[in-house]
Amino acid sequence: MSASVSSRTIILERIRIANKVSTVDAYRELPRNYILSGSLDEPARVGLMMERLREYGAEVAECVPEQLGAAIAAQLAFSGRHNFAAPADISPAWLVPGFKWTLDSALATDEIEHQDGVLTSAFAGVADSGTIVLHHSGGEGRRVLSLLPDWHLCILRISRIVETLPEYFHLCSQPPALAPALATFISGPSATADIEMTRIKGVHGPRSLSVILVHDHNQHEAGEIPSPTDTGRRP
Amino acid sequence: MRASLFVTCYNDTLFPETGRAVVRLLERLGVELEFRPEQTCCGQMHANTGFRSEASCQAQRLVQLYRDAEAVVIPSASCVAMIRDQYPAFFEELGNDSLRRDFQALLPRVYELSEFLTDRLDVDDVGAYFPHRVTYHASCHSLRSLQVGDRPFRLLNKVSGLNLIPLDNLETCCGFGGTFSIKNAEVSSAMLAGKVHDVLSTHAEYCAALDNSCLMHIGGALHRQFASPRTIHLAQILASTQDMPAEEVA
Amino acid sequence: MSHVILNPRLAPPFPKAAIPILRNAQLRTNVAHATQVIQNKRAKLVAEKTDWQELRTAAAAIRDHALDNLGSYLEEFETRCTAAGGVVHWAWDAAEARATILNILCEEQASEVIKIKTMTSAEIELNPALEAAGIHAIETDLAELILQLGDDEPSHIVVPALHVNRSQVREIFARRMGLDDLTDNPQALTAAARDYLRRKFLSVPTAISGANFLVAETGSVVIVESEGNGRMCLTLPRTMITLVGIEKVLPRFRDLEVMLQLLARSATGERMSPYTSVWTGVKPGDGPQRFHVVLLDNGRSPMLARTRERQTLRCIRCAACQNVCPVYQQTGGHAYGSVYGGPIGAILTPQLMHMEYAQSLPYASSLCGACYEVCPVKINIPEVLIDLRAKVVDQDRRRASRLTDPMYLGMRAASGAFSSARRYRASQRLARMALRPFTGKDGWIRSLPNLGSRWTMTRDLRGMPDRTFREWWAKRGKAAQ
Repeated sequence: MSASVSSRTIILERIRIANKVSTVDAYRELPRNYILSGSLDEPARVGLMMERLREYGAEVAECVPEQLGAAIAAQLAFSGRHNFAAPADISPAWLVPGFKWTLDSALATDEIEHQDGVLTSAFAGVADSGTIVLHHSGGEGRRVLSLLPDWHLCILRISRIVETLPEYFHLCSQPPALAPALATFISGPSATADIEMTRIKGVHGPRSLSVILVHDHNQHEAGEIPSPTDTGRRP
Repeated sequence: MRASLFVTCYNDTLFPETGRAVVRLLERLGVELEFRPEQTCCGQMHANTGFRSEASCQAQRLVQLYRDAEAVVIPSASCVAMIRDQYPAFFEELGNDSLRRDFQALLPRVYELSEFLTDRLDVDDVGAYFPHRVTYHASCHSLRSLQVGDRPFRLLNKVSGLNLIPLDNLETCCGFGGTFSIKNAEVSSAMLAGKVHDVLSTHAEYCAALDNSCLMHIGGALHRQFASPRTIHLAQILASTQDMPAEEVA
Repeated sequence: MSHVILNPRLAPPFPKAAIPILRNAQLRTNVAHATQVIQNKRAKLVAEKTDWQELRTAAAAIRDHALDNLGSYLEEFETRCTAAGGVVHWAWDAAEARATILNILCEEQASEVIKIKTMTSAEIELNPALEAAGIHAIETDLAELILQLGDDEPSHIVVPALHVNRSQVREIFARRMGLDDLTDNPQALTAAARDYLRRKFLSVPTAISGANFLVAETGSVVIVESEGNGRMCLTLPRTMITLVGIEKVLPRFRDLEVMLQLLARSATGERMSPYTSVWTGVKPGDGPQRFHVVLLDNGRSPMLARTRERQTLRCIRCAACQNVCPVYQQTGGHAYGSVYGGPIGAILTPQLMHMEYAQSLPYASSLCGACYEVCPVKINIPEVLIDLRAKVVDQDRRRASRLTDPMYLGMRAASGAFSSARRYRASQRLARMALRPFTGKDGWIRSLPNLGSRWTMTRDLRGMPDRTFREWWAKRGKAAQ
């Protein structure tokens, strides 16, 4: 350990000598003339999200909140699978009858591995890249839960869909969200192009991804996304 | 309009016909052109090979020689790139304030030939006549450092009789790279093979460029392969008229 | 394939290493195909981004700011990561990093370790050290697995097995996994890798990763990947060790909004890679409960002290410069004798080696500038290459061998010639005389001796005309008078 301490000292000293003065305060003045906020209205934003998800080969369905249970049931049935895992904190209404549900709070890895699929919610969606972001609390489940089962059904409320990546980060700068300790950005099912740059869907992560977009505009519980205060260049 | 020609060392020595074409072209366009015989080299070869102090001496010579010039015209994009990209650091390090100010004042008056024609003289149609199939090779320095953009195409498109054939992989280097072509001759030759293939695919009679260095490279391979396309500097095409066709050196 | 040497201390100089590769038609076809595919995908996605240049400007500024205040941000990262239950180690060089990791693995009594693709671990030659200590490293990235099973070395930063084609992968997998009836369909090959690794993911309790970014503000680590092997490694094991260069730190979480928009588009031609994972220390009940970060210097902090070269440290390892480089396209990565090949490797490797090795790499470029054009953090690679060449020449000036080096002598002589017009004219006359015996009747030179033969091996050279431009001009002046 003493060697490590001295390396710390040496490295920081070498850096200090090279850099001389601190300019940490200049952070606020860094140029950020890229696009911060998107320009699409909600239908276009949702349309873009769907288009991007489908480009990745993900299944996409839409519904209104009242039909969510039916939409989940339809997706589960369509998947042809039976055993599903879900986070213990998930909305009970989502655990539709007719399927075997295993709720996770501290399931062993093996038990999760043997599930046919998993149902979670999402923290946010980014339309520009068709990205779903999980912060792994509440209905979003532990990281392992959305990793091992081969099929992932994710519920995304459209009030949580932003157009650009900077808008997601803005969301994370607004209490109570703040920067998450854990986050997984999912942009389509796992894939590789390591063999002759041929894109192959489904390597180690879930090979199939399905997303249900819930039109929740008037839902109070959803919590509207605060609009970014920064003024960015618009396209 | 008065201008001073910095012909560059390798044009002076190996491609005098390019210098002569620049003279003929600019005088035809009413430019009063001078040539300062004290000129030698911009320092590019030394700088790019790592001989920085030698290059810096040549940079000082060039600035001292041209500090009072109204405009300096250079028929070589890579030499202009040398002056724009590398001279600033030289004069920063030199610590000679008056020389640095001279350089900074001179810099905006330094033109590559196609820039001088289109920007300073504001002319696309130079009244040239060149009834041949021509393809244009964009040298890396003209493309990325000078960003001459469509200037050479605007000029070529106005040449009467000229049939411009697009070159595939226009933005790919020919593999010359100065002493790179010697130090890494094998890799350089492999790159050149691709460029020659693209040039031959155009079935053009001439391959033109703003840099004789690339053309020396491409032309050297074409000649080795007994291939028919000839290389020609843009200046020679633009200087060519019905009365006085381009000088062709066999 | 084991003849490939990626240790810059031992590797042959670039021009020599390139020759057998230039003769390897299969490898060149594979490299050309892969780089072309990535370039096309990248170009399409960059074109749809109307604020691409603004993103590059912001990224360069953020990375410069992080480097300008590297000490503060590393300490901030250390504080936050430690507070979240992580253990931060500092390693001055490769040996110390290896020893640190081996110590942790000893404490864990590990006999096997699963790895996420990390070029940094290749930089410190971690796998041989692990094997020597009796710990079997299992590469889980598909490309790395291909290389490991094929006893080969990485040739690209992002797609390390891009020089290997499907039939070669089939041969390696069939032989090493005992799958005789495996086809060369990429889907089947990928499925074979999935089956092969699944058991390992579920059973090996220790993992090693690199990192794309560290976030000072939160103490988080960020990994961008495609296959999910990264998520497996950083979720399932009991213990996680992340090895990361000190330059990878970003000031704030929000800086990822710039980096993540640039990285995948530049690297693989995707809007986002399938998976980006962010984690912070240890979270009870979720993921590894023991987490170590090894911050590696290994030649990085000395780079900070050099005005122009320090921009090298902005690099986010997207490999766009490799894909676009006409030199890399001919040779692939192995010729560079370093895990970091291509333009970024040509400037990074010699600097990491304190300019004591890999001096041929700064010359392994035609200075065409395509790398600078695509770099998402605007590293002016040609500028750094030229600077490093000056350093190499300054080393040469102190060596006696310079007096027998024709290139050195030629450059010195040319410098003398260029110093006055009189000497220059004399040199021109001398050159004309010297070239005359080699010049054919048609005015062309087909063969030159010595250094000149490096030109004439594939190219003719037009002989020197009878009259230089200045001679013509002087005569013309007289005629006019």
